[in-house]
Amino acid sequence: MSPVSGRPRGEVRIVTRRMREYPEDSWTLSRALDDGGYEASRKVVTQMTADDTIELVKSSGLRGRGGAGFPTGMKWSFVPKDVFPKYVVINHDEGEPGTFKDRELAELDPHALIEGITIACWANQANKAFIYCRGEFALGSRRMDRAIREAYEKGFLGDGIYGSKFDLDIILHRGAGAYICGEESALLDSLEGFRGQPRLRPPYPAVKGLYAQPTVVNNTETLMALPAIIDKGADWYRKWGTEKSPGTKVFSVSGHVKEPGNYEAPLAMPLSEVLELAGGMRDGSEFKAVIPGGASAPLLTDLSVPMDFESLKDAGTMLGSGAIVFMDQTTCMVRNALVTTEFFEHESCGKCTPCREGTWWGVKVLERIEHGEGRPEDMDLLLDICDGIDGRAFCPLGDAASWALRSNVKLFRDEFEAHVSEGRCIFDGEHKQLVGARARGDEMEGGS
Amino acid sequence: MTQNGGAPKDTQVGLTLNGRELKVEKDRLLIDVAEEVGIFVPRFCYHPGMKSVAVCRMCLVKVEGSPKLLPACATPVTDGMVVDTVDETAVDAQRGMLEFLLINHPLDCPICDRAGECPLQDQTYAHGPGSTRYVEPKRTYEKALEISELVVLDRERCVLCWRCVRFADEIAGDRFIQLVDRGPGTQILTFSDEPFDSYFSGNTIQICPVGALTSKPYRFVSRPWDLQTAPSVCTYCSVGCPLTNESRDEKIVRCQALPNENVNDFWLCDKGRYGYHHVESAERLGSPLVRSGKEFEPASWGAAVDKIVSAIKDKRRIGVIAGGHLTTEDAYAIGKLAKKVLETKDVDSRIQDAGAPYERALALGGIAGSTATLNDVEGAPEILWVGPDPKETLPVLYLRLRKAVNDGGARLTVVSPRATSLDVIAAKVVRCEAGGEGRALREIDDLGDDAVVCWGQSSPGRDETDAFDAAVAASQASGGKLLVCVPHAGSQGMLDMGVHPGLDAGYVEVAEPGRDTRAILEAAAAGELDALFLFGADPIADFPDAGLARRALEKGIFTVAVELFPTQSAMRADVVLPSAAYAEREGTFTNLERRVQKLERLVAPPGTAQEPWKTCAAIAGALGDAWGWARCDDVWDDIRRNVPTHKDLDLALLTQEAPAHAPFYESAFGDVQTHTMDPPALTVAGPGGQYPKGYRSGAPFQTGQNWPLSWELRAFEAKQRPGVIPHPNGSANGHGAAPAGAPDAPDAAPRAAEGGDDFVLLSGRLIYDEGSMVSRSKALGNIASGGYAELNPGDAADLEVSAGDRVVLRGAGAEVTLPVRIGDIAKGAVYVPYDQRDVKANTLMSGVDSRVGVAKA
Repeated sequence: MSPVSGRPRGEVRIVTRRMREYPEDSWTLSRALDDGGYEASRKVVTQMTADDTIELVKSSGLRGRGGAGFPTGMKWSFVPKDVFPKYVVINHDEGEPGTFKDRELAELDPHALIEGITIACWANQANKAFIYCRGEFALGSRRMDRAIREAYEKGFLGDGIYGSKFDLDIILHRGAGAYICGEESALLDSLEGFRGQPRLRPPYPAVKGLYAQPTVVNNTETLMALPAIIDKGADWYRKWGTEKSPGTKVFSVSGHVKEPGNYEAPLAMPLSEVLELAGGMRDGSEFKAVIPGGASAPLLTDLSVPMDFESLKDAGTMLGSGAIVFMDQTTCMVRNALVTTEFFEHESCGKCTPCREGTWWGVKVLERIEHGEGRPEDMDLLLDICDGIDGRAFCPLGDAASWALRSNVKLFRDEFEAHVSEGRCIFDGEHKQLVGARARGDEMEGGS
Repeated sequence: MTQNGGAPKDTQVGLTLNGRELKVEKDRLLIDVAEEVGIFVPRFCYHPGMKSVAVCRMCLVKVEGSPKLLPACATPVTDGMVVDTVDETAVDAQRGMLEFLLINHPLDCPICDRAGECPLQDQTYAHGPGSTRYVEPKRTYEKALEISELVVLDRERCVLCWRCVRFADEIAGDRFIQLVDRGPGTQILTFSDEPFDSYFSGNTIQICPVGALTSKPYRFVSRPWDLQTAPSVCTYCSVGCPLTNESRDEKIVRCQALPNENVNDFWLCDKGRYGYHHVESAERLGSPLVRSGKEFEPASWGAAVDKIVSAIKDKRRIGVIAGGHLTTEDAYAIGKLAKKVLETKDVDSRIQDAGAPYERALALGGIAGSTATLNDVEGAPEILWVGPDPKETLPVLYLRLRKAVNDGGARLTVVSPRATSLDVIAAKVVRCEAGGEGRALREIDDLGDDAVVCWGQSSPGRDETDAFDAAVAASQASGGKLLVCVPHAGSQGMLDMGVHPGLDAGYVEVAEPGRDTRAILEAAAAGELDALFLFGADPIADFPDAGLARRALEKGIFTVAVELFPTQSAMRADVVLPSAAYAEREGTFTNLERRVQKLERLVAPPGTAQEPWKTCAAIAGALGDAWGWARCDDVWDDIRRNVPTHKDLDLALLTQEAPAHAPFYESAFGDVQTHTMDPPALTVAGPGGQYPKGYRSGAPFQTGQNWPLSWELRAFEAKQRPGVIPHPNGSANGHGAAPAGAPDAPDAAPRAAEGGDDFVLLSGRLIYDEGSMVSRSKALGNIASGGYAELNPGDAADLEVSAGDRVVLRGAGAEVTLPVRIGDIAKGAVYVPYDQRDVKANTLMSGVDSRVGVAKA
């Protein structure tokens, strides 16, 4: 049952290596040190220049693992060299429904994160880093807190780390429960103590971010890939994945599969193989649809699509955070659309009109359809609402809400129409047991 | 967007806007550039006076090369940009946004004050769908929350444009109104039990693009199309904010800011906005009154003037005191009557600011007043403030100082014996001892070049010559300019027109100055005058020695009072002549930067009340000197002929009847106008909208047609009415430093000498007080805070009192018990607000630089 019991075929462990090899104590300092931890960060600080570090990361082709997939080295190169202080902010506000990779990574290997942060700070010559940790991550924040204190004691953090003249402080900050704070500029506002709402850009964070200073915002998984890249080189990292999407990705696999969990695999692995990593569909389940990259990503019904940035984009969806939710024949897609849209409505910050009002309206219409009060024109209305949000919202949250909703309506229009024509949820009878609480319209939490 | 190879040589960029080739300043916002050439991009959240937030998404336009539509309000123009505001995708987005905004809007226009001048309504009428596709229940909130004494909030109508929140935060610095909750539940609210107690709260009502924020005094009072409107100038402080008065059935029901970027930007303080009710007060004088024994009897103007003439004929010992709320024309008439007809030099207009040495500014450039304009203040690299708390006394100047510091990056230094509202934005605060402003100013050694030094009277009744001289010297030393903050709307006009013992009109210094206000009152009290004229002057309430004023007016000297109200001083006069209020008359006010701005008449004065200049002319005529003035323009012609500084000042510049070009807008919706750079002969505003004809004189706004909102029309109009700053006559005055009308020697005044006479008495007005106008403006009636005694923590400890305890103040034979406030105030000083309901600080004052005894009650 446990994914750590043995390595599934096809899994490649780079970011997850230590935690999978030493599940009993991977998060401790002694294990990290025995396992060669802090060598990569020591190497960059004592032997490499900042520019060389950036070049190495650039040539590795590493792309942001938070969702947008922006090349990490290029992001760093946008930071002005001569403006101080600079900050590195770690986006550990993992809130995308279906995503639980950063949570496990930080819980099980916080020292690797600190090492990755050190490398990023050195590359950008930033003396302060802030970990913006999702508020609900109690265990992870405790382990990170402890790991940071241990790193200070060892001289890996603080003044003159590794005996160099480079100072580095890490501040751990726990958020207060808003999905929007995973959007980098809203995260910065929240970190500064304001309402978490996205900022108008330009200026971009690289130029004016936290406290109006140059700021790099990177995802936890992205930074945790750095020690191995420093250690083994860019070419080694490029052994996996594709030219444009090199390396590995931690996929959070959930839904109607046998063994849900985090699986690290090379980018461009076909969806069908990722499904195999998780043991395949549950007994009795037939594959129906999959969310390939978190709740924001449009659905797919084709399992042959390779899981990399380009292929998924070509398929009309996105890799996003790498959260894969497999759904079987018992899933009501109207309810899926409703639950997803409710999530975005609840998490909309309310700043811009289309996201605030569009998600509200979408939920209202979906509720009617699900409860048998749909009208034939509602499907087109839903698509109009999506068009009204998409590309017009202030930040990608609104866009994401529209993508998810639109793909449900477009791919499963017949199911929506059946709800309308039959005046009820067509899944209510046959699969009532399986669907359980959801069929009764009980409140449910986002995420699987 | 396509970027041209090299950077442009100058600051201009070329762009294509709806097919037109334009050259404009770079970095300007697309929405502004478009509006200037007559292309109106619809908007809710954008406001030209505040930073863009791009939240309403109404102004999305197509920019070539950008995959998404861009908000015109947050997109600076760049070279080679190709923009289409009427592209199908942009129009579709704008329509979509309107539909989104309407799904939860209550559509209660029939009971909404905003209906008729509502941007949401206008845009919906013109272009919105006739019905809705939204069939579900709307979002509801408790309606009509009173969030302050003046502002009512309806969250259902709100479109969450944040204008109010941004104004309160960014412009006013009063973060009392905020966004609460999130997502579709986002709402505007105040914090739990705290009301929206900002001095500037009314602005949020004016800039609200829907009826979410409404004005308590105006609620359900009128429809905008039933209003008559007339542009005017605020009658309170010397900033002189342009505004429009609006009336229904000959009664003023609303007052709104008339935006003018030179003066008030887009703002008014609440005193200016809600302080109009005094015009309709039942206490207004409507007929001349002539004393008969202890009583007054109504008289005709002829009889009243005859009474005056018979009393003063051949008398030459006459004192004239004028107040600070009369127009420039009144000032000229008063000066002419006093100096030419009554042949007296005992003329003064400084009452609260008695002895203020304005004439010493002549050394700087021949002006008894400011050499700086408000724009100079806003653009200054350095500002030095020495004076009263501007938030209380000159509220809109306070807003512009904030803008200078927060947006312009000015370095502000504040010198004051007491904490001011500016301290929080100041780079440096010098807490000087009471009366030590001059020394503190001379000790400042880090003032950079081109500083604007702002001086205002810190406390009535104090000799501030030293501070003034130091301020003048500081501005000279820095090579900058001086802003002289006179107290009232008419104060500068009085100085300009020679209502001053040492200056004739046009700042011509007189060889032998006459008596100033204090000396006139002392002469009256000593029985050394034959007659006393008070023009809008209430020395008992305003002069910083109430006892002296009372003795002067109770001496039995023949006194004429020209007044709006039966004030304490007027009720001791022999003849009382009623005056027209600011909304009842034409004329001009000259503000503290010496900008002359026009008032227009909206309502009729009560009874036979008339403008004081007419009264002066009538008295002069009866004394045999016919001036031949029939209209306000006649007075102005006389001023131009006789006042050298004003000879080039054509009143027509201020009284443009209608804009030369009304704005001609094309937009994405409805009847898109043909593209043309030249406005057609028949000007239109908005798509298919008739520019409201005679909009200034009161014809209705055209509902649903004029896209430019009412405030936008007014902004446009204000550009036509910028006001004019007269040029000083360079040759008329040398740079002689010798001041005329030097104040009395301080030691000549009697001191209060009752026990523990050991505190310097500081005073100063709060925004809401017992002023004769503001106290009769019923909307503001419940707001005034009342009196208190502010002490330094050390002094309070010595007196063994803490905040809330009561202390007895003794001075000038008077005694008053007040609650204690502990504040950041110089040791050895006590601050008591001027002219409050429960304490008249001037009753504690006698002579200059009064001291008071303070003891635990």
